[in-house]
Amino acid sequence: MSVRNTTRSWGSLSKALHWIIVLLIINQWVIGMRADSLPLGLAKLQALAWHKSFGITILALAVVRLAWRWMNPVPDLSAETRPWERVLAKISHLLLYALIFALPLTGWLMSSAKNYPVSWFGLVQLPDLVAPGEALFQQMRGLHHKLFAALVAVAGLHIAGALKHHFIDRNDVLKRMLPFGGVK
Amino acid sequence: MTNYLCLLAAAVAFAGAAATGTGAAHYTQAPGSGSLTFSFTQAGAENRGSFREFATDLTYDANNPAAGSLKVTVQVASLDTRDKDRDDTLAGADLFDVKKYPTATYVANAFAKTADGRLEAIGKLTLRGVTRDLRIPLNLRVAGSGYELSGEVTVKRLDYGVGQGDWQATDMAGNEVKLQYKVPLARSN
Repeated sequence: MSVRNTTRSWGSLSKALHWIIVLLIINQWVIGMRADSLPLGLAKLQALAWHKSFGITILALAVVRLAWRWMNPVPDLSAETRPWERVLAKISHLLLYALIFALPLTGWLMSSAKNYPVSWFGLVQLPDLVAPGEALFQQMRGLHHKLFAALVAVAGLHIAGALKHHFIDRNDVLKRMLPFGGVK
Repeated sequence: MTNYLCLLAAAVAFAGAAATGTGAAHYTQAPGSGSLTFSFTQAGAENRGSFREFATDLTYDANNPAAGSLKVTVQVASLDTRDKDRDDTLAGADLFDVKKYPTATYVANAFAKTADGRLEAIGKLTLRGVTRDLRIPLNLRVAGSGYELSGEVTVKRLDYGVGQGDWQATDMAGNEVKLQYKVPLARSN
């Protein structure tokens, strides 16, 4: 398996970025729910600090991922894929890319609006994007949650599509994204 | 006789004033003016807030700076970090405990020049019922009929008991707190 993509399969970097972001997003959901449920205190600050640090990590990986996608061929869908399936795949991939940018950015906006600046693992402090304001914070909080719901919905469609390719169409679309699977 | 006594009283008062420095004048902060901000490390990031209500009185003689005095009284409950949850937490019993300790004061009855020629107040800060010696820099810039007083000083919150129980830990809320002040002071006599 090469680092770069081919027209038949994903390279190791694309696969690594895909699966690391998947794991980070699941982790974000767990930490985010925990932070939300806690009263303001040390445990909440710790949970928020992790959530923000991993969120910024996802944003950085999303940038790398998008750049790498532009620099590489995108593997073709199997020849028998129907046009409506191609359109649906295209739209859902576009949305997934948009969401892995939009979720960290709205989180960052929430932090700035709340006057709780973002630190990346205590190593780098990020600048505030907006001046503090409770109304803006509440707007961004609502948006952040809606975007996450959208991510769950689109990811569900994405997974359903992958499983259909694998079990019904019996093609390589799922296998070629698996960490150690793939096609020659 | 009455006139003579008045004259005598005036003479005594004058002599007293002369002994403490005739050029000393009194300066006060107009209510609502000036800024007193604090910043601290929270979860790795510098967080900022301010005290909205505080009063400053300065006695100062440019010809005899050492004889100056300063008193600052801060209404601790006026703290504002732009987040009500955090403000309420800071005001609570484990941190500032504003119900029990509504004010913090800084009182200095002497000033001194540092080795590099900057003016410092030699005083005591009382915060959350704890009083400790604290020197604070005094940058005085002539402004209008008085001065603009500015400077910054770093204090350790745990020295004053700001942080009981869990809040004694410093990984999520750092021990060092930087105070920055900029206060216009107008001559009041």
